[in-house]
Order: sequence, then C-alpha cells, then structure tokens
Amino acid sequence: MSRCDGCRVEVEGDWSSCPLCGTPLDTDQSAPAAVPEPFPAVPLGYSRRRVFRVLFLTSLAVIVGSFIAQLLFVRDADGIGAARSVWLGLCAMWLVAIMAISKRHNIAKGTVWLVVLIGGVCAYWDYLTGWNGWSLDWAIPIVCGCSIIALLITVRVMRTEVGDHILYSALTVALGLAPVGFLWLGWLSRPIPSVACGIVAVLALAFLQVARGRPVRTELAKRLHL
Amino acid sequence: MNKSATGRTWVRLDNVSNIFLAARTDADPKVFRLAAELTEPVDPERLQRALDATYDHYPLYHAVLRSGVFWYYLQASDLRPVVTAEDHHTCAPLYQTDKRNLLFRVSHHRRRINLEVFHALSDGAGAMRFLTDLVSAYAADSAPAVEPEVEPQRGLSIDSFTHYFRRRRHTPDPAFDAAAESAALGVADTLPAAPRPRWRVGRLIRPRIRVHRVKGTRTPDNRTRAVELSLPAKDMLELARAEGVSPTMYLTGVFFESVRRSAGDLGRARTFVASVPVNLRQFYPSSSARNFFATVLVSHTYGIGADDLGSVCRDLEAQFRPKATPKALEKKLRRLIRVEKSPILRIVPRPVKDVVLGWLNQAHNRHLTVAVSNLGRVTFDEPAESLVERIGFHVSAARPQFCAITHAGTLVVTFTSPFSETDHVAEFARILTGAGIRVRVGAARVTESELAEVIR
Repeated sequence: MSRCDGCRVEVEGDWSSCPLCGTPLDTDQSAPAAVPEPFPAVPLGYSRRRVFRVLFLTSLAVIVGSFIAQLLFVRDADGIGAARSVWLGLCAMWLVAIMAISKRHNIAKGTVWLVVLIGGVCAYWDYLTGWNGWSLDWAIPIVCGCSIIALLITVRVMRTEVGDHILYSALTVALGLAPVGFLWLGWLSRPIPSVACGIVAVLALAFLQVARGRPVRTELAKRLHL
Repeated sequence: MNKSATGRTWVRLDNVSNIFLAARTDADPKVFRLAAELTEPVDPERLQRALDATYDHYPLYHAVLRSGVFWYYLQASDLRPVVTAEDHHTCAPLYQTDKRNLLFRVSHHRRRINLEVFHALSDGAGAMRFLTDLVSAYAADSAPAVEPEVEPQRGLSIDSFTHYFRRRRHTPDPAFDAAAESAALGVADTLPAAPRPRWRVGRLIRPRIRVHRVKGTRTPDNRTRAVELSLPAKDMLELARAEGVSPTMYLTGVFFESVRRSAGDLGRARTFVASVPVNLRQFYPSSSARNFFATVLVSHTYGIGADDLGSVCRDLEAQFRPKATPKALEKKLRRLIRVEKSPILRIVPRPVKDVVLGWLNQAHNRHLTVAVSNLGRVTFDEPAESLVERIGFHVSAARPQFCAITHAGTLVVTFTSPFSETDHVAEFARILTGAGIRVRVGAARVTESELAEVIR
C-alpha cells in the first residue's frame, strides 16, 4: 500500500497521488499494491438524461411557439399556403415524435397522449384553414377508432399486464365516444366515420366491462385511493 | 395468459418515504449502499444463489414503485433480481419514473458484495438485515437459516393502519402487506395516549442563524464522491471516551472541525449544523424494514466560546443526549404518525405533494452543514462472520456527509459528497492520524484526471 506523508494515511489501490490532498504518493514499486481499490473505475458518462431534457423542452417551446405564431397570419384556406402547411406539418410530426419517445415506457399511456395531441392539432389546423369541419368529420373519429383497435391489439401482442394498461385503455375508449358527442351536438356534416368510431368504442367498452370489469374497478380504486 | 396485475397486493407509500421521492435530484438519487468485503473474491454464481434464497424471504424487496393520483404505492412484482458486476458508479439512480424495476440492486466487485437500496423502500438498519442474510446465505451457500422476516410481523398486532386503510381491499399477499407497511404506523398502537398537540409560534418562527454551508465543484457527471476511511474502532473509542462523549458525537465534532479547517474564513456563517438520524427500532420494537428513524439536529457556533475539539464534542453531546431519549423521540414519532394520518395531506394530489415536499426539503437543507449517520456495530453468525473482513456503508448526498459502521473491530467511515473536493476528508484523516490512529483510505475515482490514471 502506498502512503501519503501529508495526511499520514495508507492508500488502497494504484493512486499516484493522494486521493485526499493530491500530494504525490510514496509508491514502493517493488511491491505491487497488496490491497486493490474498493471501487471499480467507472468511465465518466455524460448525462444523457440532461441532454434529452434540454432537447425535449427546446422542442416543445419551438412547437408551441410555432402553433401560436399561426394566429398572427390570415385565417383561411388560401392564406395558409404551402410554406405554412409544411411548417405546421413538421411541427405536428415532431410533437408526435417527442411524445411517443417520452411515453415509450407505457404504450397505453402514450396512445392516450397521441389521440389527444393529434386530435387537438387537427382541430387547430382546421380552424386555421377557415373551419371546414374536416377534423371533426374525418380526422378525429378515424384517429380515435384506429387507436382503440391498435391499442387492443398491441397490449395483446406485447402481453402488457392488465394493471399497466387498463386505465389508459379505458381512457382511450372513452375518447372514442367523443365523436358520438359531436354527432349529438349536430357539429358534423358527414356522420359515417363518427358512427363507425362510436360502434368500435361501444364494442371495446362492452369487452372491457365483461372481460375486465373487476381489474378496471380495482385499478381505479388503487389509483384514486385517498 | 398473464397473471392479473390488479390482483397484486399494494400498499401506499408513507409520507416519510415520499420525501425521498420529492427530494431526489441528479446528484442525489437517494440511494444508499451497504457493502460487505469478504476475505476471498466473490463468486457471482454463488452470490446469485444466495440472493435468490434471501430474496424469497423478503417480500418488501419484491416491490416496484408506482404512482397514483394521490399517492405513490408499492406493489408486489414477479421480478427476480440479477447479480451484476459493479459497472455503475456508487449509488447510481435506482428509481426511474414509469419504469417498473426493483428498488434495490446487488453487485460485486473483487471481494465486495454491494447492496444498493432506494431510500424510499428501506433505511440503513432495515437493509442491514437483508445484507446479513445475503452474506449468511453466501457463506452457507444455501437458504438462510434465519426465520423469514414476515413471521414475527404477523404475530405482532399490526396497527390500526391495516384495518383503517384496508377494510375493503382484497389482499392476496399478506406477507407483502405486512412487510411494506409503514413502520411508524405499525407502532402507533403501542404509544400511550397523548394530549392534543398545540401549535406554538416558536415552532414557526426560527431565530435567524447563519448556518455554514459547504460549497464546491460538482463532480463531472453528478456521481457521488465516496471516500472510505478504515480505522481500528478501539482507538477511536478511546479518544471519544477521553472526551467523555459518544462515538457518534465525537466523529461529528471531528467532522465539524475538519470542515471548519478546510473552509478557511467562516465569515458570518459560523454555525455548523449536523442532522443525525436515530433508529427508532431501538426504542419501539418493530420488525419492519421500512423507513423508521427520526432525525435530530445538533449544532455548534464557532467564535463565541471554547472551540477546541473536546469542547465542541461535549457541546454536541449535551445537545444530542436529551434529544435521543425515548421521551423526546416519542414526540417526533407522534409527529410522524400525525403526518401519516393527516386528512389534509391525504387529499392533496401527488404531483403537488412532490413539489411542496421538494421545497420543504430544500428549505430544510439550507439550515444544514453536514449529515452524519452511524449504523453502529454489526456482527454476523458463523460461518459468515469469519468470511467478512469489512463492512462499508454510505449514502448519496446533497451535502457532505459521513456514514459509519463497525465490524470486527474495524470502523469504516465513508464520506460522500456531491462535490469533487476532498479537503474536509483530508482534514478529518489528519486529525485522526495526528492522534496516533492508523487510517487506511479507499476512494472512488471521480474526476477525469483520477480516471485517466487507470482507464486508457
């Protein structure tokens, strides 16, 4: 073992200078270190988490900024033009991408987020282009209906535990009932996609109630436990 | 078919443990490590067998942490722990939001077996039992001969809590329930009735004291700086006895002195405050491995009285002794139980709780200079006792801290800090070696230049 004259301590391992005060150590070269270092030398890792957090927050700021900036322009189908469409499209795609990445640990949770985000972006885009109603007629029912089917398949294929997805699956199905609400309120000019989505949601709801009624109730009781 | 996860048993996380979730940062992930250094290199396969056997007896360690709307909760899992070679820096983060992994890890490096635990799961004294059983199983290379941890708990009349919170709940795993139960509530029934607590203004308004806080350079990748000092326990005890103080307060006094020496001019911040956790199990019998401690604060202001080491130690001892009596601790325990049962805290949504607890913790940290923790003396049963050479103990830290543990006459004091500097450790070692004690230093490499010596 080497020795530090400054601190008068014995140092374990192959330190060339004292880990406490930095003074070069008396190393007896003939005798190899009898006591190895108690900790392994782990290479420095740059904090990936911090990089991701910065990227995430900057992206989010740029996207939200871009969406808000649209309000400064003319609001109609002609005014939107090719450049703004590409701009909005890129922002929407990037938003979906970062949300999918940040929620990748729970596929069901991610799906809920995506349905809400995509639905919101479509409605906003529709509003910017002078409100033709395409988002409510087509986009939202199609996204909701497809996500329910996709989620039911995914949790089965990935063998996700019931408790891990049930709450979010139920939420996705509930979102699937929203287009039926639009129909009820008379907001739609083309009811077929919404009706189809509603049927899918009701079927999924019936399936959840019959096959998974008990897990849903226990999970809800657990999550909302006071 | 998958087993229904909702059929799994779960217990909500107590407020005390919730602090560790709210207070964790990149530099301080609230993970602590217990390490057993053996007399021979560790055999990974044998260790895995020992871990498998021990794990089966500790339902609490099967828990994963999940979040609800109002609480975090511990949920039993089917995961199995896998022994790994030590490839992380010490006290690397264990809990990650949304990831369902176990809240402890077992690794090995040369002759060492390391057990790292997320503090929300257990405290040092609770985890020591797991390490003891793990090492015993390793030594015997068979299942531990000790009684499973859950047995005595069933016998004890556990708490109003069980009835109070779980009247309607289906519990398929009573062993997990008992093990994951809040330790403070577990002893709530054993306390005598107390008068209603009264709020005193004095408790809310603190006198303005300038508390000295250690500043430094953060380590390059936020890893914990850990330095281990090993010394003969007997020699340190003699020094403490000569000053007429307990070993913990002696070490705390030396710590204050070394921080003071390394700080140079103290300026106006001349009060040093240390937080010292006291294991409540010694006064309130509980076999729970959950967090069960109360912290006691001791302080010394330099420049207004005698500042030599002996006087500082006696000053600290005079403050610590009355605060660590069963009567004083009962008050703290009562407060813990009250917090646990508080109806207001129960309806606060969890994200809000996280933010508020985080702030409270930061405010508390501003009044602390250092933290110390002494786990005392540990022994193993044969054949493990003769297999173990040293035991180490340390915790990730938001400020300079030391953890001490004694085994077979060797006291290991491990300093941890979020900063690269080790000046205060050097001063600490010099004070001890100056008193004629033989000190051995083991350190984890943290800075680029330290690592460059060995990694090419």
